[in-house]
Amino acid sequence: MEGLIAFWSESGIANFTPGQVLMMGIGCLLLFLAIGKGFEPLLLLPIGFGAILANIPNAGFTDEGGLLYFAYHVGIETGIFPLLIFMGVGALTDFGALIANPKMLLLGAAAQFGIFATLLGAIGLNLVPGFEFSMQDAAAIAIIGGADGPTAIFLASKLAPDLLGAIAVAAYSYMALVPLIQPPIMRLLTTESERKIKMEQLREVSKMEKIIFPLMVLGLTILFLPAATPLVGMFCLGNLMRESGVVDRLSNTAQNELINIVTIFLGLAVGSKLSADQFLQIETLGILVLGAVAFGIGTATGVLMAKLMSKLSGGKINPLLGAAGVSAVPMAARVVNKVGLEANNQNFLLMHAMGPNVAGVLGSAVAAGVLLAVLG
Amino acid sequence: METISEQLTDALGIMILGMSLVFVFLGILILAMKLVAKKYAPVPQEKAADKPRQPAVSKPAVSPLMAAVIASAIHQHRQKA
Repeated sequence: MEGLIAFWSESGIANFTPGQVLMMGIGCLLLFLAIGKGFEPLLLLPIGFGAILANIPNAGFTDEGGLLYFAYHVGIETGIFPLLIFMGVGALTDFGALIANPKMLLLGAAAQFGIFATLLGAIGLNLVPGFEFSMQDAAAIAIIGGADGPTAIFLASKLAPDLLGAIAVAAYSYMALVPLIQPPIMRLLTTESERKIKMEQLREVSKMEKIIFPLMVLGLTILFLPAATPLVGMFCLGNLMRESGVVDRLSNTAQNELINIVTIFLGLAVGSKLSADQFLQIETLGILVLGAVAFGIGTATGVLMAKLMSKLSGGKINPLLGAAGVSAVPMAARVVNKVGLEANNQNFLLMHAMGPNVAGVLGSAVAAGVLLAVLG
Repeated sequence: METISEQLTDALGIMILGMSLVFVFLGILILAMKLVAKKYAPVPQEKAADKPRQPAVSKPAVSPLMAAVIASAIHQHRQKA
Protein backbone atom coordinates (compact mmCIF):
# COMPACT_ATOMS: atom_id res chain seq x y z
CA MET A 1 0.00 0.00 0.00
CA GLU A 2 2.81 2.37 0.87
CA GLY A 3 4.38 1.68 -2.51
CA LEU A 4 1.12 2.59 -4.19
CA ILE A 5 0.93 5.89 -2.29
CA ALA A 6 4.52 6.67 -3.15
CA PHE A 7 3.78 5.89 -6.79
CA TRP A 8 0.68 8.08 -6.71
CA SER A 9 2.52 10.98 -5.10
CA GLU A 10 5.07 10.87 -7.90
CA SER A 11 2.52 10.67 -10.69
CA GLY A 12 1.75 13.54 -13.02
CA ILE A 13 -1.89 13.66 -11.99
CA ALA A 14 -1.10 14.30 -8.33
CA ASN A 15 1.45 16.99 -9.05
CA PHE A 16 -0.11 19.10 -11.79
CA THR A 17 -0.57 22.76 -11.00
CA PRO A 18 -3.24 24.66 -12.95
CA GLY A 19 -0.50 26.84 -14.51
CA GLN A 20 1.27 23.80 -15.91
CA VAL A 21 -1.92 22.41 -17.41
CA LEU A 22 -2.63 25.76 -19.02
CA MET A 23 0.89 25.99 -20.44
CA MET A 24 0.59 22.47 -21.85
CA GLY A 25 -2.60 23.69 -23.46
CA ILE A 26 -0.63 26.56 -25.01
CA GLY A 27 1.98 24.04 -26.16
CA CYS A 28 -0.78 22.00 -27.80
CA LEU A 29 -2.16 25.17 -29.39
CA LEU A 30 1.27 25.86 -30.92
CA LEU A 31 1.39 22.26 -32.18
CA PHE A 32 -2.05 22.73 -33.71
CA LEU A 33 -0.98 25.96 -35.42
CA ALA A 34 2.13 24.23 -36.77
CA ILE A 35 0.54 20.98 -37.91
CA GLY A 36 -3.04 21.98 -38.63
CA LYS A 37 -2.52 25.47 -39.99
CA GLY A 38 1.04 25.24 -41.29
CA PHE A 39 2.18 28.36 -39.39
CA GLU A 40 6.02 28.39 -39.28
CA PRO A 41 5.94 24.64 -38.51
CA LEU A 42 9.73 24.35 -38.43
CA LEU A 43 9.82 26.42 -35.27
CA LEU A 44 6.39 26.29 -33.73
CA LEU A 45 6.42 22.48 -33.63
CA PRO A 46 9.59 22.15 -31.52
CA ILE A 47 8.63 25.22 -29.48
CA GLY A 48 5.19 23.76 -28.74
CA PHE A 49 6.64 20.39 -27.83
CA GLY A 50 9.30 22.06 -25.69
CA ALA A 51 6.53 23.90 -23.85
CA ILE A 52 4.82 20.59 -23.09
CA LEU A 53 8.07 18.97 -21.90
CA ALA A 54 8.99 21.96 -19.76
CA ASN A 55 5.72 21.80 -17.86
CA ILE A 56 5.73 18.13 -16.92
CA PRO A 57 5.74 17.91 -13.14
CA ASN A 58 8.67 15.98 -11.62
CA ALA A 59 10.35 15.37 -15.01
CA GLY A 60 13.10 17.88 -14.40
CA PHE A 61 13.71 18.80 -18.05
CA THR A 62 14.33 22.41 -17.11
CA ASP A 63 16.03 21.80 -13.75
CA GLU A 64 19.77 21.94 -13.54
CA GLY A 65 21.11 18.90 -15.37
CA GLY A 66 18.02 18.45 -17.56
CA LEU A 67 18.11 18.38 -21.35
CA LEU A 68 16.23 21.61 -21.88
CA TYR A 69 18.25 23.30 -19.17
CA PHE A 70 21.45 22.57 -21.08
CA ALA A 71 19.97 23.34 -24.47
CA TYR A 72 18.99 26.76 -23.15
CA HIS A 73 22.23 27.53 -21.37
CA VAL A 74 24.54 26.27 -24.08
CA GLY A 75 22.64 27.58 -27.05
CA ILE A 76 20.52 30.56 -26.16
CA GLU A 77 22.02 32.20 -23.11
CA THR A 78 25.31 32.33 -24.98
CA GLY A 79 23.63 33.50 -28.18
CA ILE A 80 25.17 30.65 -30.18
CA PHE A 81 21.99 29.10 -31.64
CA PRO A 82 20.56 32.28 -33.13
CA LEU A 83 23.99 33.12 -34.55
CA LEU A 84 24.36 29.70 -36.19
CA ILE A 85 20.89 30.11 -37.66
CA PHE A 86 21.95 33.50 -38.96
CA MET A 87 24.93 31.91 -40.69
CA GLY A 88 22.55 29.46 -42.36
CA VAL A 89 20.23 32.28 -43.39
CA GLY A 90 23.24 34.07 -44.88
CA ALA A 91 24.07 30.95 -46.87
CA LEU A 92 20.46 30.80 -48.07
CA THR A 93 20.25 34.46 -49.08
CA ASP A 94 20.83 35.67 -52.62
CA PHE A 95 21.65 39.38 -52.55
CA GLY A 96 21.48 39.64 -56.34
CA ALA A 97 18.21 41.58 -56.40
CA LEU A 98 19.54 44.06 -53.86
CA ILE A 99 22.91 44.53 -55.56
CA ALA A 100 21.11 45.23 -58.82
CA ASN A 101 19.03 47.95 -57.17
CA PRO A 102 20.86 49.29 -54.07
CA LYS A 103 18.23 51.99 -53.41
CA MET A 104 16.04 49.25 -51.97
CA LEU A 105 18.19 49.42 -48.85
CA LEU A 106 16.30 52.60 -47.97
CA LEU A 107 13.09 50.57 -47.75
CA GLY A 108 14.80 48.08 -45.45
CA ALA A 109 15.84 51.03 -43.31
CA ALA A 110 12.44 52.73 -43.23
CA ALA A 111 10.64 49.57 -42.14
CA GLN A 112 12.81 49.47 -39.00
CA PHE A 113 10.84 52.43 -37.69
CA GLY A 114 8.40 49.85 -36.34
CA ILE A 115 11.11 48.70 -33.93
CA PHE A 116 11.89 52.11 -32.53
CA ALA A 117 8.27 53.26 -32.39
CA THR A 118 7.47 50.14 -30.36
CA LEU A 119 10.31 50.95 -28.00
CA LEU A 120 8.42 54.13 -27.22
CA GLY A 121 5.15 52.18 -27.02
CA ALA A 122 6.56 49.62 -24.57
CA ILE A 123 7.77 52.37 -22.26
CA GLY A 124 4.43 54.14 -22.68
CA LEU A 125 2.70 50.94 -21.58
CA ASN A 126 4.32 51.43 -18.16
CA LEU A 127 1.59 54.02 -17.57
CA VAL A 128 -0.84 51.12 -17.34
CA PRO A 129 -0.77 49.58 -13.87
CA GLY A 130 0.76 46.10 -13.85
CA PHE A 131 3.40 46.81 -16.50
CA GLU A 132 6.95 47.55 -15.55
CA PHE A 133 9.19 47.28 -18.59
CA SER A 134 12.75 48.47 -18.22
CA MET A 135 14.42 50.09 -21.22
CA GLN A 136 16.16 46.76 -21.93
CA ASP A 137 12.85 44.88 -21.81
CA ALA A 138 11.30 47.46 -24.12
CA ALA A 139 14.15 47.12 -26.63
CA ALA A 140 13.89 43.33 -26.66
CA ILE A 141 10.14 43.53 -27.23
CA ALA A 142 10.50 46.20 -29.91
CA ILE A 143 12.82 44.03 -32.02
CA ILE A 144 9.81 41.80 -32.78
CA GLY A 145 9.02 44.56 -35.29
CA GLY A 146 12.16 43.56 -37.18
CA ALA A 147 10.29 40.37 -38.11
CA ASP A 148 13.45 38.36 -37.82
CA GLY A 149 13.34 35.40 -35.43
CA PRO A 150 17.07 34.83 -34.79
CA THR A 151 17.69 38.55 -34.29
CA ALA A 152 14.81 38.78 -31.82
CA ILE A 153 16.04 35.75 -29.86
CA PHE A 154 19.62 37.02 -29.86
CA LEU A 155 18.66 40.44 -28.58
CA ALA A 156 16.20 39.08 -26.02
CA SER A 157 18.80 36.65 -24.66
CA LYS A 158 21.18 39.58 -24.16
CA LEU A 159 18.79 42.24 -22.86
CA ALA A 160 15.76 40.54 -21.31
CA PRO A 161 16.18 36.76 -20.84
CA ASP A 162 13.08 36.62 -18.63
CA LEU A 163 10.87 37.68 -21.51
CA LEU A 164 12.56 35.45 -24.08
CA GLY A 165 9.81 32.83 -24.33
CA ALA A 166 7.04 35.31 -24.96
CA ILE A 167 9.16 37.37 -27.37
CA ALA A 168 10.19 34.36 -29.45
CA VAL A 169 6.65 33.02 -29.62
CA ALA A 170 5.33 36.45 -30.60
CA ALA A 171 8.05 36.95 -33.22
CA TYR A 172 7.48 33.61 -34.93
CA SER A 173 3.70 33.79 -34.68
CA TYR A 174 3.60 37.19 -36.33
CA MET A 175 6.02 36.08 -39.02
CA ALA A 176 3.55 33.31 -39.78
CA LEU A 177 0.76 35.88 -39.83
CA VAL A 178 2.50 38.19 -42.32
CA PRO A 179 0.02 37.24 -45.09
CA LEU A 180 -2.84 38.34 -42.84
CA ILE A 181 -1.32 41.42 -41.16
CA GLN A 182 0.32 43.15 -44.11
CA PRO A 183 -2.16 43.27 -47.02
CA PRO A 184 -4.79 45.50 -45.34
CA ILE A 185 -2.10 48.02 -44.37
CA MET A 186 -0.63 47.91 -47.88
CA ARG A 187 -4.01 48.47 -49.52
CA LEU A 188 -4.89 51.26 -47.12
CA LEU A 189 -1.75 53.27 -47.89
CA THR A 190 -1.57 52.83 -51.68
CA THR A 191 -3.89 53.66 -54.55
CA GLU A 192 -4.98 51.16 -57.17
CA SER A 193 -2.89 52.86 -59.85
CA GLU A 194 0.21 52.83 -57.62
CA ARG A 195 -0.20 49.11 -57.04
CA LYS A 196 -0.30 48.61 -60.81
CA ILE A 197 3.10 50.16 -61.39
CA LYS A 198 5.36 47.80 -63.30
CA MET A 199 9.06 47.89 -62.62
CA GLU A 200 11.98 47.69 -64.99
CA GLN A 201 13.77 44.40 -65.22
CA LEU A 202 16.73 44.13 -62.86
CA ARG A 203 20.21 44.24 -64.32
CA GLU A 204 22.57 41.32 -64.26
CA VAL A 205 24.93 41.08 -61.31
CA SER A 206 28.48 39.79 -61.61
CA LYS A 207 29.94 37.12 -59.37
CA MET A 208 32.58 39.59 -58.21
CA GLU A 209 29.90 41.96 -56.92
CA LYS A 210 28.26 39.13 -55.01
CA ILE A 211 31.55 38.15 -53.40
CA ILE A 212 32.49 41.70 -52.47
CA PHE A 213 29.07 42.45 -50.98
CA PRO A 214 29.29 40.43 -47.73
CA LEU A 215 32.85 41.61 -47.18
CA MET A 216 31.76 45.19 -47.66
CA VAL A 217 28.84 44.83 -45.24
CA LEU A 218 31.16 43.29 -42.68
CA GLY A 219 33.74 46.05 -43.20
CA LEU A 220 31.16 48.78 -42.62
CA THR A 221 29.86 47.01 -39.51
CA ILE A 222 33.36 46.75 -38.12
CA LEU A 223 33.90 50.46 -38.69
CA PHE A 224 30.61 51.83 -37.46
CA LEU A 225 28.73 49.28 -35.39
CA PRO A 226 30.91 46.60 -33.81
CA ALA A 227 28.01 45.65 -31.51
CA ALA A 228 26.23 44.21 -34.55
CA THR A 229 29.21 42.13 -35.71
CA PRO A 230 28.11 38.87 -34.05
CA LEU A 231 24.91 38.91 -36.12
CA VAL A 232 26.24 40.55 -39.27
CA GLY A 233 29.52 38.65 -39.12
CA MET A 234 27.90 35.21 -39.06
CA PHE A 235 25.45 36.29 -41.71
CA CYS A 236 28.24 37.51 -43.97
CA LEU A 237 30.26 34.34 -43.39
CA GLY A 238 27.31 32.23 -44.54
CA ASN A 239 26.77 34.46 -47.56
CA LEU A 240 30.45 34.47 -48.55
CA MET A 241 30.54 30.66 -48.35
CA ARG A 242 27.59 30.62 -50.73
CA GLU A 243 28.82 33.18 -53.22
CA SER A 244 32.52 32.32 -53.29
CA GLY A 245 31.65 28.99 -54.90
CA VAL A 246 34.76 27.29 -53.53
CA VAL A 247 33.26 25.80 -50.36
CA ASP A 248 30.02 24.32 -51.60
CA ARG A 249 30.22 21.59 -48.98
CA LEU A 250 30.34 24.09 -46.13
CA SER A 251 27.68 26.25 -47.71
CA ASN A 252 25.38 23.26 -48.16
CA THR A 253 25.90 22.17 -44.58
CA ALA A 254 25.20 25.66 -43.26
CA GLN A 255 21.96 26.00 -45.22
CA ASN A 256 20.71 22.44 -44.66
CA GLU A 257 21.96 20.08 -41.96
CA LEU A 258 23.38 22.63 -39.56
CA ILE A 259 20.47 25.04 -39.66
CA ASN A 260 18.06 22.10 -39.25
CA ILE A 261 19.87 20.65 -36.26
CA VAL A 262 20.14 24.03 -34.58
CA THR A 263 16.48 24.75 -35.32
CA ILE A 264 15.41 21.64 -33.41
CA PHE A 265 17.33 22.63 -30.31
CA LEU A 266 16.56 26.31 -30.61
CA GLY A 267 12.85 25.51 -30.75
CA LEU A 268 13.03 23.16 -27.77
CA ALA A 269 15.07 25.61 -25.75
CA VAL A 270 12.70 28.47 -26.50
CA GLY A 271 9.79 26.20 -25.60
CA SER A 272 11.44 25.46 -22.27
CA LYS A 273 11.04 29.15 -21.44
CA LEU A 274 7.29 28.76 -21.71
CA SER A 275 6.90 27.73 -18.10
CA ALA A 276 3.83 28.82 -16.22
CA ASP A 277 5.55 31.18 -13.81
CA GLN A 278 7.33 33.08 -16.59
CA PHE A 279 4.70 33.09 -19.30
CA LEU A 280 1.39 33.49 -17.47
CA GLN A 281 1.87 37.14 -16.68
CA ILE A 282 0.24 40.33 -17.76
CA GLU A 283 3.50 41.31 -19.48
CA THR A 284 3.03 38.51 -22.01
CA LEU A 285 -0.22 40.06 -23.14
CA GLY A 286 1.55 43.40 -23.52
CA ILE A 287 4.32 41.76 -25.55
CA LEU A 288 1.83 40.14 -27.92
CA VAL A 289 0.02 43.44 -28.47
CA LEU A 290 3.22 45.46 -28.86
CA GLY A 291 4.62 42.92 -31.30
CA ALA A 292 1.61 43.23 -33.57
CA VAL A 293 1.83 47.03 -33.38
CA ALA A 294 5.56 46.93 -34.20
CA PHE A 295 4.86 44.79 -37.24
CA GLY A 296 2.08 47.04 -38.47
CA ILE A 297 4.08 50.25 -38.05
CA GLY A 298 7.10 48.74 -39.80
CA THR A 299 4.98 47.71 -42.75
CA ALA A 300 3.36 51.14 -42.90
CA THR A 301 6.59 53.14 -42.79
CA GLY A 302 8.12 50.86 -45.41
CA VAL A 303 5.20 51.47 -47.75
CA LEU A 304 5.24 55.22 -47.07
CA MET A 305 8.96 55.38 -47.83
CA ALA A 306 8.38 53.45 -51.04
CA LYS A 307 5.61 55.91 -51.94
CA LEU A 308 8.01 58.78 -51.44
CA MET A 309 10.65 57.08 -53.58
CA SER A 310 8.01 56.34 -56.19
CA LYS A 311 7.06 60.04 -56.36
CA LEU A 312 10.70 61.15 -56.54
CA SER A 313 11.56 58.64 -59.24
CA GLY A 314 8.58 59.68 -61.35
CA GLY A 315 6.53 56.55 -60.74
CA LYS A 316 9.15 53.92 -61.44
CA ILE A 317 8.90 52.20 -58.05
CA ASN A 318 5.86 50.26 -56.93
CA PRO A 319 5.06 51.40 -53.37
CA LEU A 320 4.00 47.89 -52.39
CA LEU A 321 7.70 46.97 -52.28
CA GLY A 322 8.02 48.93 -49.04
CA ALA A 323 6.11 46.25 -47.16
CA ALA A 324 8.89 43.78 -47.89
CA GLY A 325 11.28 46.02 -45.95
CA VAL A 326 10.35 44.23 -42.72
CA SER A 327 12.46 41.12 -43.08
CA ALA A 328 10.33 37.95 -42.73
CA VAL A 329 12.14 36.45 -45.73
CA PRO A 330 10.66 35.34 -48.09
CA MET A 331 7.11 35.60 -46.83
CA ALA A 332 6.89 39.39 -47.01
CA ALA A 333 8.16 39.39 -50.60
CA ARG A 334 5.55 36.78 -51.54
CA VAL A 335 2.83 38.92 -49.97
CA VAL A 336 3.99 41.92 -52.03
CA ASN A 337 3.89 39.76 -55.16
CA LYS A 338 0.38 38.57 -54.35
CA VAL A 339 -1.05 42.01 -53.62
CA GLY A 340 0.65 43.31 -56.79
CA LEU A 341 -0.92 40.53 -58.87
CA GLU A 342 -4.35 41.40 -57.47
CA ALA A 343 -4.02 44.89 -58.92
CA ASN A 344 -2.51 43.77 -62.21
CA ASN A 345 -2.36 40.09 -63.03
CA GLN A 346 0.67 40.56 -65.28
CA ASN A 347 2.74 42.34 -62.65
CA PHE A 348 5.25 40.02 -61.02
CA LEU A 349 6.98 41.86 -58.19
CA LEU A 350 8.61 38.90 -56.46
CA MET A 351 12.17 39.46 -57.67
CA HIS A 352 11.92 43.19 -57.05
CA ALA A 353 10.56 42.59 -53.56
CA MET A 354 13.46 40.31 -52.67
CA GLY A 355 15.71 43.41 -52.69
CA PRO A 356 13.97 45.28 -49.86
CA ASN A 357 13.29 41.95 -48.19
CA VAL A 358 16.96 41.05 -47.71
CA ALA A 359 17.67 44.72 -47.01
CA GLY A 360 15.24 44.32 -44.11
CA VAL A 361 17.39 41.53 -42.68
CA LEU A 362 20.39 43.83 -42.72
CA GLY A 363 18.31 46.71 -41.40
CA SER A 364 17.02 44.75 -38.42
CA ALA A 365 20.50 43.42 -37.65
CA VAL A 366 21.78 47.01 -37.67
CA ALA A 367 18.88 48.13 -35.48
CA ALA A 368 19.63 45.29 -33.07
CA GLY A 369 23.27 46.39 -33.04
CA VAL A 370 22.26 49.95 -32.20
CA LEU A 371 20.03 48.77 -29.35
CA LEU A 372 22.80 46.51 -28.04
CA ALA A 373 25.37 49.28 -28.25
CA VAL A 374 23.15 51.76 -26.41
CA LEU A 375 21.55 49.47 -23.82
CA GLY A 376 23.70 46.34 -23.57
CA MET B 1 13.59 54.41 -10.57
CA GLU B 2 13.28 56.99 -13.28
CA THR B 3 9.90 58.55 -13.86
CA ILE B 4 8.02 57.44 -16.92
CA SER B 5 8.39 60.80 -18.61
CA GLU B 6 12.17 60.59 -18.28
CA GLN B 7 12.07 57.08 -19.69
CA LEU B 8 9.92 58.26 -22.57
CA THR B 9 12.41 61.02 -23.34
CA ASP B 10 15.20 58.44 -23.30
CA ALA B 11 13.24 56.15 -25.58
CA LEU B 12 12.57 59.03 -27.96
CA GLY B 13 16.28 59.78 -28.00
CA ILE B 14 17.11 56.16 -28.82
CA MET B 15 14.47 56.19 -31.52
CA ILE B 16 15.93 59.24 -33.25
CA LEU B 17 19.50 58.02 -32.82
CA GLY B 18 18.62 54.50 -33.94
CA MET B 19 16.69 55.50 -37.04
CA SER B 20 19.37 57.97 -38.13
CA LEU B 21 22.10 55.36 -37.59
CA VAL B 22 20.18 52.74 -39.58
CA PHE B 23 19.70 55.21 -42.44
CA VAL B 24 23.30 56.46 -42.36
CA PHE B 25 24.67 52.91 -42.27
CA LEU B 26 22.55 51.65 -45.12
CA GLY B 27 23.10 54.94 -46.98
CA ILE B 28 26.86 54.44 -46.87
CA LEU B 29 26.31 50.87 -48.00
CA ILE B 30 24.36 52.14 -51.03
CA LEU B 31 27.26 54.42 -51.98
CA ALA B 32 29.75 51.61 -51.52
CA MET B 33 27.64 49.26 -53.62
CA LYS B 34 27.44 51.85 -56.40
CA LEU B 35 31.22 52.18 -56.37
CA VAL B 36 31.65 48.42 -56.62
CA ALA B 37 29.02 48.28 -59.37
CA LYS B 38 30.99 50.88 -61.37
CA LYS B 39 34.01 48.66 -61.39
CA TYR B 40 32.57 45.16 -61.45
CA ALA B 41 29.06 45.34 -62.91
CA PRO B 42 28.77 43.12 -65.99
CA VAL B 43 29.57 45.18 -69.09
CA PRO B 44 26.52 46.17 -71.11
CA GLN B 45 28.16 44.78 -74.26
CA GLU B 46 27.06 41.33 -73.06
CA LYS B 47 23.53 42.61 -73.30
CA ALA B 48 24.21 43.96 -76.78
CA ALA B 49 25.46 40.54 -77.75
CA ASP B 50 22.42 38.91 -76.16
CA LYS B 51 19.84 41.15 -77.72
CA PRO B 52 20.05 40.10 -81.34
CA ARG B 53 20.14 36.47 -80.27
CA GLN B 54 17.20 36.54 -77.89
CA PRO B 55 14.40 37.58 -80.21
CA ALA B 56 15.68 35.14 -82.81
CA VAL B 57 15.41 32.25 -80.36
CA SER B 58 12.50 33.15 -78.15
CA LYS B 59 10.02 34.77 -80.50
CA PRO B 60 9.19 31.90 -82.79
CA ALA B 61 9.19 29.48 -79.86
CA VAL B 62 6.04 30.91 -78.29
CA SER B 63 4.12 33.67 -80.00
CA PRO B 64 2.37 36.23 -77.78
CA LEU B 65 -0.99 34.90 -78.89
CA MET B 66 0.00 31.35 -78.02
CA ALA B 67 1.32 32.52 -74.65
CA ALA B 68 -2.00 34.20 -73.89
CA VAL B 69 -3.90 31.05 -74.84
CA ILE B 70 -1.70 28.90 -72.62
CA ALA B 71 -1.97 31.36 -69.74
CA SER B 72 -5.75 31.41 -69.89
CA ALA B 73 -5.86 27.61 -70.15
CA ILE B 74 -3.70 27.29 -67.05
CA HIS B 75 -5.88 29.83 -65.28
CA GLN B 76 -9.06 27.90 -66.11
CA HIS B 77 -7.47 24.64 -65.09
CA ARG B 78 -6.42 26.05 -61.74
CA GLN B 79 -9.85 27.48 -61.08
CA LYS B 80 -11.38 24.07 -61.70
CA ALA B 81 -8.96 22.45 -59.25
